[in-house]
Amino acid sequence: MANVSLAAATKTFDDDGDQIVAVDELDLDIQDGEFLVLVGPSGCGKSTTLRMVAGLESPSSGTITLGDEVINDKTPQERDIAMVFQSYALYPHMTVRGNMAFGLEESTDLSDAEITDRVDEAADILGITDLLDRKPGELSGGQQQRVALGRAIVRDPKVFLLDEPLANLDAKLRAEMRTELQQLQEDLDTTTIYVTHDQTEAMTMSDRIAILDGGELQQVGTPMECYHEPANVFVAGFIGEPSMNFFDVTNEGDVLVGEDFRYPVSEAAAAAVQGHDDLVLGIRPENIEIVEDPVADDVLPAVVDVVEPHGNENAVHLRFADQDGGTRFTATVGGMRSLSGGQEVGVRFPEDALHLFDGHSGDALRNRIVEDLDQVEQIGTT
Amino acid sequence: MSNATNSRAESIARVLPALDYSKIAIYLLVMTFAAFFISPIWTGLVTAFKTTGAVTATTPFLPPGPDGFTLQKWTTAIEYLSTGMTNSLLMSFPATIASVTLGSTAAYGLTLVDWHKRTQFAVLVLFMFGIFIPYQAVLVPLSDFWINMVGVDGLVGPVLGGLPFFTERHSRLFAVTVTHVVYGIPICMLLFRGYYVALSDELIEAAKIDGASITSIYRRIVLPLSKPMFGVVFIYQFTMIWNEFLFSLTLIGSSASPAATVTLVLSGLGSDLTGVDFGLRMAGAFVAALPTLIIYVLFAEQFAKGLASDN
Repeated sequence: MANVSLAAATKTFDDDGDQIVAVDELDLDIQDGEFLVLVGPSGCGKSTTLRMVAGLESPSSGTITLGDEVINDKTPQERDIAMVFQSYALYPHMTVRGNMAFGLEESTDLSDAEITDRVDEAADILGITDLLDRKPGELSGGQQQRVALGRAIVRDPKVFLLDEPLANLDAKLRAEMRTELQQLQEDLDTTTIYVTHDQTEAMTMSDRIAILDGGELQQVGTPMECYHEPANVFVAGFIGEPSMNFFDVTNEGDVLVGEDFRYPVSEAAAAAVQGHDDLVLGIRPENIEIVEDPVADDVLPAVVDVVEPHGNENAVHLRFADQDGGTRFTATVGGMRSLSGGQEVGVRFPEDALHLFDGHSGDALRNRIVEDLDQVEQIGTT
Repeated sequence: MSNATNSRAESIARVLPALDYSKIAIYLLVMTFAAFFISPIWTGLVTAFKTTGAVTATTPFLPPGPDGFTLQKWTTAIEYLSTGMTNSLLMSFPATIASVTLGSTAAYGLTLVDWHKRTQFAVLVLFMFGIFIPYQAVLVPLSDFWINMVGVDGLVGPVLGGLPFFTERHSRLFAVTVTHVVYGIPICMLLFRGYYVALSDELIEAAKIDGASITSIYRRIVLPLSKPMFGVVFIYQFTMIWNEFLFSLTLIGSSASPAATVTLVLSGLGSDLTGVDFGLRMAGAFVAALPTLIIYVLFAEQFAKGLASDN
């Protein structure tokens, strides 16, 4: 086990003379035993980052350290890491036992008996003992996924690298495996880097999330930090489902003027955004309050477009009441609350729940006020 | 009685609607082509069973009558070709195995092993040249190389001199074998290359992360996975080497040589001052083709698998 750190790690690819920057000066420290999720949209550089740690890509510049050792020039064979691929990459001509034993046979001097013992032990942990004599082609997707995990854990490596390991599973199995993987990592206490484009996986499994976009690191933090205190518009929009609503507004001192509304702000909030004329106002769907009376005090009139029932809650797609179809936004309300398309309602944006971002750089100027984030943390991690 | 006629008419009527004119036309066309392609082989086969008299007396593609039938051509052909067959087998199997194995490892090194990309490309270009060099262009330098520069005649003798049937001339067979290996590697490499390029990168990467070296990735992952392709390339290469004539002619020279390959012997079979014995020539051709047919049958399953996975 060891910590991993990337210092100004950069990877550029040459595309017919054009330099494409896949990862741009990435600084990231992953603690010993930590579960870090690298998340971002397709092409954000997360897989390239993982492959650099694995040794499958060599960084164009910067250093990668494993433990106390710079591993830039080490081959994957010398790094003592294990990786689970999205396609699982099981050796099709070997049995499950052969697949799991391969790494031990190639990278250690263990005797056959010891290898058998370790494979049996790992198979037992993952509940695949009865599959050991089968070939990968005879297994279901979920079973193959377990074998791929087994192949990684049997090695007892310094670091686990997982590249979208759950992407090919169906929704129910994916939810089960999320919990199981998290539990497994906690038991093994091995440093883990997990790449995904799915923000739900990132939120639910990680100790910390690193969010990448366009090869640049946007934010590193605990899931709750990233959710409640996003560093910029990108993080705010990426984390959370349904995603945060954004409105372009102009700062006029004590009031924010949007296309469809004027929003008076408190002195504290006004001070935070002082000097920035163009702002983006963000509010999460669950923080929008919907009241039946469209003309009450401090509410904005809106019309319900569509209601998506999810059972436990309803996602309500709304637009501001306006002659020429106002801006659309989304709110979530409790599952028992009945609203229907075309209904005229009032919406209230509580100031405590507002996020304000600079309109040009996208940086967060003021995040929502959470009473005590540490307390939220505790609920989140237990 | 009328009942029977009825049912017969009905059964004909049931068959008729299925046979529309376009289908009849297609079947006729298919049968014509089948007959066209089979007729030479068929003619050769029936000729091989005819006496010399019957060959001239009967129509070529018709089977011989009872008095024109003989198996003597086959026994003569087998007797005549047996040394050539042995020589060809001694040459073809090692040459095929060596060129296929080396072609596979070369393809592995040029596709799945990560090293200097530009050099890799340059080597690949050299291989391509190797495929397209015409045999005729190298025949003279080739025989000069083996006979005068290497002096192959005295080279293999001391090593294998103790073997039964071995003569000094058999050294030439060694020269032909090595020449086939060298000429076979580029095309074998190309066939394997297509297969390895399509092989999942992640599989090789997984093996690298599992700590496998370049050689053990080849031995334990790539080699077992390319079994179907080995079938395809083996059949192809064996047929090419077995049927090859020019190298044998240049390096061994005469069909009378104790080292003569089957193609060399076959070229002189059944023709002398008295004329051409067609029956003997045909029987000889079939006997000489037998090993390639056997190889096809043995590797048919691999061959089909290889073709399927290649596409």
